[in-house]
Amino acid sequence: MLDWGIIVHYFPFLVQGALLTLKISVIALLFGFIFGLLAALLKLSPNVVLRWIGGFYVWIIRSTPLLVQLFLIYFGLPQVGIDLGPFMSGVLALAINTGAYNAETIRGGIISVPSGQMEAARSLGMGSALAMRRIILPQAIRMAIPALGNNFVILIKDTSLVSTITLVELTLTAQRLIGSTYKPFEMYLMAAFLYAILTTTTSVLLSKLETKIAVERR
Amino acid sequence: MKKCTVAGMLVLSMLLLALPASANKLEEIKAEGELTFALTGQYPPFNFVDENNQVTGFDVQVGKEIARRLGVAGVPVTTAWDGIIGGLLAKKYDLICGSMAITPQRLETIDFSDPYYRSGAQIFTHKSSDITSVDGLKDKKVGVTLGTTYEEWVRKNIEGADIRTYKGVPDMVLEAANGRISAFVTDKIVGALAIKEKGAPLKLVGDLLYEEKMGIALNQGNPQLKAAINEALTAMKDDGTYHEISMKWLGIDVR
Repeated sequence: MLDWGIIVHYFPFLVQGALLTLKISVIALLFGFIFGLLAALLKLSPNVVLRWIGGFYVWIIRSTPLLVQLFLIYFGLPQVGIDLGPFMSGVLALAINTGAYNAETIRGGIISVPSGQMEAARSLGMGSALAMRRIILPQAIRMAIPALGNNFVILIKDTSLVSTITLVELTLTAQRLIGSTYKPFEMYLMAAFLYAILTTTTSVLLSKLETKIAVERR
Repeated sequence: MKKCTVAGMLVLSMLLLALPASANKLEEIKAEGELTFALTGQYPPFNFVDENNQVTGFDVQVGKEIARRLGVAGVPVTTAWDGIIGGLLAKKYDLICGSMAITPQRLETIDFSDPYYRSGAQIFTHKSSDITSVDGLKDKKVGVTLGTTYEEWVRKNIEGADIRTYKGVPDMVLEAANGRISAFVTDKIVGALAIKEKGAPLKLVGDLLYEEKMGIALNQGNPQLKAAINEALTAMKDDGTYHEISMKWLGIDVR
């Protein structure tokens, strides 16, 4: 049923594709986390305008498909003179997209920290920014880790969409090879296997981090 | 305030990355030392990915040969067919050298070199199909690649056809072999090769639907680049290089 010759011969090429997928994921994950943190703080800001900006970002991103956002950045922006390469476009779209989801996750974490914590920190003479950084955020992020991990896994899988903007990552590698081998079953199975490796590794690393933090906390 | 700084930096970095518009695309290409040309990479034998995961084929070799004659390196870029003109307009690559037919409609938005090969549209069905001509396609499921001249033709000329659009010919070959579509329309050479080389259980049905001339697409308003491409094409045809490339990939001279 399976053509093992095909699998053995082409597997290294799919691994190459998976490496680009990994690179895109890691960079988008990093920026996505920063965007998410900033947007969460904006949404919780006492300033109405900042709150509105944060809210607008989260709303516009969560209410539109990632593929459309990706095409807007890659095909649309050059029309107004902003020409990002495929790699930049892909990473930016993914980071902005996952950032909006992270924002809500982190905001939830911050809200779940009892308000007494902030009051106690302030009464010790900390400014609100310092209290947020030293007291609230460490607890909030800790609580948000499982949900953030979920966002990270979704992000890795969403990178397959950048195959539509010429990036030869895992999915496009498989598609291109199907074009000359006519072996979709083998190629997509290998791709699925490699995605599973990437996402499972991420989940395992995060649950280790979670346990480590829980132990430290005790 | 911190957030404003970050947003500002983002916008700034975007502006810095934006390429300045150049008056002469040819000079720009020569300065960069690189000519990028787009194709799907899913259109064997014209362009496809070989067993070493390298993009190759007739289009690729023609594109690289033109680049060589301009004194620069030719770099193929694989992209989906339905976004290939959009990518050219957005200047994601310099040319489309991927078997694009020259049509009046396309000439409204982009420019073309002189034709670099001729072929035509052909109906393909499963070996065991009882469809014998274009009339047999009425009310049948017909596959075409999204955004091709074939799609347009089928929409205009086949009454009641249930049109299924695909990203590439290999997808349609598999679908027709699996019986999910009754027929598909694509380039005669491409389909014939899938039967010959890959043993696909398909057959050619009827005569050529119409003939097409393929050109190398570029953005409008680049007369120097267009002239340079045409010059390189003519020289290739004259000195036998073109014949050699054509024979190697297609077994016939398709000029």
